Amino acid sequence: MVQAVKNSWATFKSIFTGMGITGRHLVGPTVTLQYPEERATLPKNARARLFVNMDDCIGCTLCAKACPVNCIDIETVPTTADVDLGKTSTGNPKRFWLTRFNIDMAKCMYCDLCVHPCPTNCIYMEQEYEYSEYDRSNLLYKFSQLSPVEVDDVKAKAEAEAIQKQKEKEEKARQKAEEARLKKEQEAAEKARAADDGTGAVPAADAAKAAGTAAPDAADAARVAGTAAKPAPGSPSKQDDTQNPSKGEA
Amino acid sequence: MNETLSSMPFLPALLLHAAIPLTIILVYALVAIWAERKVAGFIQDRLGPMRVGGWHGWAQSIADLLKLIQKEDIIPADASRFWFKFAPFMMFAASYAAFAVIPFSSGYIGSMVNIGVFYLLAVTSVLTLSVIMGGWASNNKWSLLGAMRSAAQMVSYEVPTIATVLTVVLVAGSLNLMEITELQSGNDTLGFLPNWLIFQNPFLITAFIMFFISILAESHRVPFDLPESESELVAGYQTEYSGMRWAMFMLAEYADMLLLSLLGATLFFGGWNSPFGDFLAGPFWGFFWFMLKGLVLVFVMMWIRWTLPRYRVDQLMAICWNILIPLSFVNLVLAALWEMIF
Amino acid sequence: MDLAAILFYVFALVTIGSAAVVVFSRNIVHAAFSLMFTLMGVAALYVLLYADFLAATQLLVYVGGILILILFGVMLTSQGYTLNFREATVNVVPAGLLSVAAAILLIYAFSTGGWVITEVDERTDTVYDLGMMLMTDYLLVFIVAGVLLLVAIIGAIVMSTRLSVNTED
Repeated sequence: MVQAVKNSWATFKSIFTGMGITGRHLVGPTVTLQYPEERATLPKNARARLFVNMDDCIGCTLCAKACPVNCIDIETVPTTADVDLGKTSTGNPKRFWLTRFNIDMAKCMYCDLCVHPCPTNCIYMEQEYEYSEYDRSNLLYKFSQLSPVEVDDVKAKAEAEAIQKQKEKEEKARQKAEEARLKKEQEAAEKARAADDGTGAVPAADAAKAAGTAAPDAADAARVAGTAAKPAPGSPSKQDDTQNPSKGEA
Repeated sequence: MNETLSSMPFLPALLLHAAIPLTIILVYALVAIWAERKVAGFIQDRLGPMRVGGWHGWAQSIADLLKLIQKEDIIPADASRFWFKFAPFMMFAASYAAFAVIPFSSGYIGSMVNIGVFYLLAVTSVLTLSVIMGGWASNNKWSLLGAMRSAAQMVSYEVPTIATVLTVVLVAGSLNLMEITELQSGNDTLGFLPNWLIFQNPFLITAFIMFFISILAESHRVPFDLPESESELVAGYQTEYSGMRWAMFMLAEYADMLLLSLLGATLFFGGWNSPFGDFLAGPFWGFFWFMLKGLVLVFVMMWIRWTLPRYRVDQLMAICWNILIPLSFVNLVLAALWEMIF
Repeated sequence: MDLAAILFYVFALVTIGSAAVVVFSRNIVHAAFSLMFTLMGVAALYVLLYADFLAATQLLVYVGGILILILFGVMLTSQGYTLNFREATVNVVPAGLLSVAAAILLIYAFSTGGWVITEVDERTDTVYDLGMMLMTDYLLVFIVAGVLLLVAIIGAIVMSTRLSVNTED
């Protein structure tokens, strides 16, 4: 009997405790966000849609390499000598035309791995999370600021310059080879003279060495020519305004 | 209002008379379903329906009703067609018929029969049968299980309900709910309290507690909602129902909830009597007070629903047969003794 | 024909029709559900005779109690709710003779008996009269019935607890 009264007392007490809790929540504030009208503010490091600030991109493709699902697709074209793309806001020189910079957000898995390698911090995740599309192809974001015509243009220019450089390189290599050949002939003549003198053994070895180093010399010459063809860093260019569309529509 | 109606031709008067509780039930059901969802929402720190109709989604139930009207009336191939179709209507008819003896205000009662509350209990016992009918006719094991649970539960809990109602009838000395209500007018108890029966006899307080537990079980509310437990029996006897037939079941259930709450308000809380004596009294204020008292009980039922978990079948039966029935009979005798002595 | 008469015929028809379904239905659950209409029709006939208390009791006890117990029994019995009655007719000759005899007896009684036709008293307070009668004229019957029910309840408790005598912890 006493036990029964105790039990029923405990039952009623627990019921009223529970109802007190639910009653407090009944009158307390709600946590619901009325979504389309109200939106939660995302934390600073929230992962959502990727964005690339093309003004700062130097075309290093580190982000594309970091991407585990290969959703970033970059094509770069080196700039020609007459063009200067300027510097990024972080002071890095821009040496490439970005003819293609596509991010497929349908593939993206929001791992954030592409954001951190970027030397200029130009790829980052926006606070934008409402970008669903009816067609999956609409999720392919194209960040390149060059129109197809411009892309063709810069590609043609780059190719022409490359051919030009190639020619210059070949020319240089040929000149060098010529010089080397002349030198060799000269040395051979001297050696012949020395052999006539009876002391030909050591100079003959020297001549062989000189002939062997002729080819690396030519390669060096070509490299030097290549770097010279690139625009001098920092030097202002008049073609910047006309050819670099980065100042135009983003 | 009864006088106005009696001067009209018989049949229109009858129909009008019968339509008043129906209107109340329908409006109440729309409001209560919405309110149930809002209460559930707020208790869980949500908002509940917010879209339809502007302010706090007040038109949500109307939209749901329109949806249910348009839905296909699906009858399972192996169901017992006649009884399957018939059960929802019988259930609603039973709970609607019981409203005939509820005194909505001092000016309106469906029928002044002398057996009032006894008739109410008798008619609501048909509810059990319609639940069995729907559950059996569905030819679905969940439905049949729910129906069997419901039958066991309602037959069992009818006993404490009747015993507690009997306590009130014993104190009031009448079965007619209108007379029971009239008995409770005035504000003389202890000098300031209304003459409600719950303040008249200490054993009526315990009777009310037991009555409330019993009507929770009678109207299939949590924590006694075993016949239709969504989580295990997939809504029990309603599983195979869809569209308007399901809506009839739902309507009957909400009507039953209101009926039993109003019965509680009549028996224990003075019915249409104003809590302030003659202040704000009269037929229309009476209706207001009556509905307010009934809806407070309905709200407590909702509150309990979103607070307590469900009992097991054996616990349910143990509560009824081991606790409520003996206690309610002892309580009946004690209340009678109290009435004899004082 | 006044409204009460129309209602009487409607309810009488419902009672007899559903009773026929109870007898002729091959599905025992259908029969049980039809029995509900029979019992309700009888209750309605009681109401037309100003026996409202009896009508409510009929509903409460038969529809709300006994019929549900019948259904319970039917459904809990093995194959209960799919069981169909056997349709074969047996003992045709004795049964036919018996029915003919019963029919002759009934018709004879109906045609020759002196029927006492009285107008029904319009009662308004059946409960009071009933209570007074039970407590005065029929007190002994009332008490005996009460004792009988008590014995039945005790018997039910004994029968149901025998199954779980040693389950107390």
